[in-house]
Amino acid sequence: MNAPVYPSIFIACPCSDNVGQKAPTRSRTSNDEIDPEEEGQAFNPRAPRSTFSLFPLENLLFCEDCNQVRCPRCVLEEIVCYFCPSCLFEVPSSTVKSEGNRCTRNCFSCPICFAALSVTATGEEQTGPFILLCSHCLWSSQDIGIDFEKPTSITTQLAQKLKAANASSAASLTAPSPDSLSAARPLSPLGAGGTYLRPPSPSALPPDQTDEAEFGRLKAHYNQQKALASGDDYGGSGSLSRLMGLYSSNSGRLRSYGSGALRETVTARNKSEWRELEQLRTVEDEEDVIEKMKNAGFHGTTSQTQRIVQTHSPRLLDELRPLAALLRTKRSKRCRSCRHILVKPESKVGSIRHRIRLVAGSYIPQISISRLDHTAVNYNNLQPGSTHQFLLTVTNPLYDPINITLATPEKTPGQYPATVYILCPEFEVGATTDVWDEALGPEAKANPKVAKGKGKKTGLHATIWDSGRNWTTVVLEIVPPLLPEDVELGDDDHIVKVPILVRSVYEADIEREDTIGKEGREKKEHSYWSVLEVGRIAKKRGADEEGVRPMSIMSTTSSTAADETSGPRDRSLR
Amino acid sequence: MPPKQVKGEYIETDTGNKVSRKSNILGSQNIILGGKTIIQADCTIRGDLRRAGAPGQHGNVAIAVGRYCFFARSSVLKPPGKTHRGAFSFYPMKLGDHVFIGEGAVVEAAMVGNFVHIGAGAVIGKFAIIKDCVRIEEGTVVAPHTVIPPFSRVAGRPGVVVEELPETAQESLELKQLYRVI
Ligand SMILES: [Zn+2]
Ligand SMILES: [Zn+2]
Ligand SMILES: [Zn+2]
Ligand SMILES: [Zn+2]
Repeated sequence: MNAPVYPSIFIACPCSDNVGQKAPTRSRTSNDEIDPEEEGQAFNPRAPRSTFSLFPLENLLFCEDCNQVRCPRCVLEEIVCYFCPSCLFEVPSSTVKSEGNRCTRNCFSCPICFAALSVTATGEEQTGPFILLCSHCLWSSQDIGIDFEKPTSITTQLAQKLKAANASSAASLTAPSPDSLSAARPLSPLGAGGTYLRPPSPSALPPDQTDEAEFGRLKAHYNQQKALASGDDYGGSGSLSRLMGLYSSNSGRLRSYGSGALRETVTARNKSEWRELEQLRTVEDEEDVIEKMKNAGFHGTTSQTQRIVQTHSPRLLDELRPLAALLRTKRSKRCRSCRHILVKPESKVGSIRHRIRLVAGSYIPQISISRLDHTAVNYNNLQPGSTHQFLLTVTNPLYDPINITLATPEKTPGQYPATVYILCPEFEVGATTDVWDEALGPEAKANPKVAKGKGKKTGLHATIWDSGRNWTTVVLEIVPPLLPEDVELGDDDHIVKVPILVRSVYEADIEREDTIGKEGREKKEHSYWSVLEVGRIAKKRGADEEGVRPMSIMSTTSSTAADETSGPRDRSLR
Repeated sequence: MPPKQVKGEYIETDTGNKVSRKSNILGSQNIILGGKTIIQADCTIRGDLRRAGAPGQHGNVAIAVGRYCFFARSSVLKPPGKTHRGAFSFYPMKLGDHVFIGEGAVVEAAMVGNFVHIGAGAVIGKFAIIKDCVRIEEGTVVAPHTVIPPFSRVAGRPGVVVEELPETAQESLELKQLYRVI
């Protein structure tokens, strides 16, 4: 939806072994010394599977026991509560089990544009009848001939309206279904059905009737199967009745129904049953459908997005029904490997507070990137072959100072590698001090531990650029590659992706259960792979218009850039 | 973020609000600013559109704004209005803390919670209710009377919830840093 923003930084969650790496180095515990040189293999952000393990820092949690980041894939979620996103009422889980996962109050969304529908009075002086009205596209329930006597319990009223409509049309119709069923079962406008089979001629039927008729037909079919199977030595009848009980009982409890005996029974039969299923599958009378679509015109038919969210997949706009709001959940999260709880939200629906919230940002050093010279570098137009200088800032969230070691391959992974150089890969970052110091403002900033004048912004080798209380900045140099003109390139090849291993070592107080004495310090360390998506490499002249290149040389503005790159090209060919 | 302003562009109030001299604030006696809120040039805030009839105990406030809010250039805040029992009236609009309103956005919500980002050019329909920790993307059109639950990312026309925001949303939507820059 949104165009990618450069630069952006992602962190690799190591939960899936050797993603983006050839050697399974991740099996080592974090206490082992990991020397990037010795490790040999850098994280490859271009490996196809890497996409699935790279996350922005904001989306990561942290497990203290495992000393590791946790991504959405390596946490277990438990539902704390269900609520309706529109009326914000909590729905008890027993109600969710019996009524389904949609709001049973007055919350509906527009079947045309999906905006929220509001209950609106059509009479004088705020009196009925009431309708569900979309204030975005002005669709209303009147468009499908439905209005309500009172402005409350819309779900119940809608169910009754649809049922009444069904009953009247069913009476005037030679219903193809076993009629005993169609009236007996209470109708749900929330769509308990969900299958796409249709009886032969449902065109005259209102939407819910098709569900009902179909249910009846299927039940009759399986009854017949059961009767046939009872005399069989396959023993399928038991499982069939269990299967049928599954759907006709209101308990909704899932019971296991044996080992695929149903399939065996069906295959054991001759083709007569299959014929009936095929008959069910024939979708409406074509002539009829064509006629209706001709009358409705293209603008009277549903789009795919409108169709798939409706349970009866209607073809025409006047067959659409208002959509009851889908419930949302609040969830707590656990570490998948040690089961410790990482996130526990307050159960109150409107609350944004958490009882427990272990997010990666408060444990691991954060890196950010900016341009050294704002005028020289355009993130969306990096010049191939020329050296770009960036500032890489490491921020420490811990209350202890940390020693950082940054490691990056000299040539980034990929077919067209960029050259990367970190001027000062080893440095210290001061501790995060109390919130009070921060509140006192920049005057309280002076931290005796961070030696003043350490960062003189010299840009010299092995010196940091600048530092503050809990952050340090170093210079990062990147030379984007020269992309060949005569080769078909993927979009990914145009983006400079730099993997950086961030390793932090620090001493912390030994955590004790009794919390009385603070005896001794222990050495701790953490390391993670991050990927900097620095920016796009500039398109050279005529890169995508091979044939007309001679003409475009004159008009292009980036020709100087192309000239500059001739040197590095020779170097890379060497 | 925004470039450094020319000195003297903002009038600073006792509670640290910085209001651009070029902003267009009507009915300022009906507007409450919680403090440390920044109002940029060409913003329109319609405090004059207050509840019709009896100016009772709460009848005077048209727009209440919390702390650390940021109203970017050309944004519009207008209390929602409707006809009730034959009489048209405006209803008060309440904004929480750390509310960012992007350039050119038009807000007619009844309530906006804390830590809400409304992208540039977005339109928030009448009587919409936006809860805490919500990010509304640029150019989104939120239909009138819509309720947006906490931890939602909203996009599209009409705006619908497209994603749940992570637990860190509050920190990423905080505006204290932005106030310091101006
Ligand atoms: Zn993971
Ligand atoms: Zn609801
Ligand atoms: Zn609509
Ligand atoms: Zn764990």
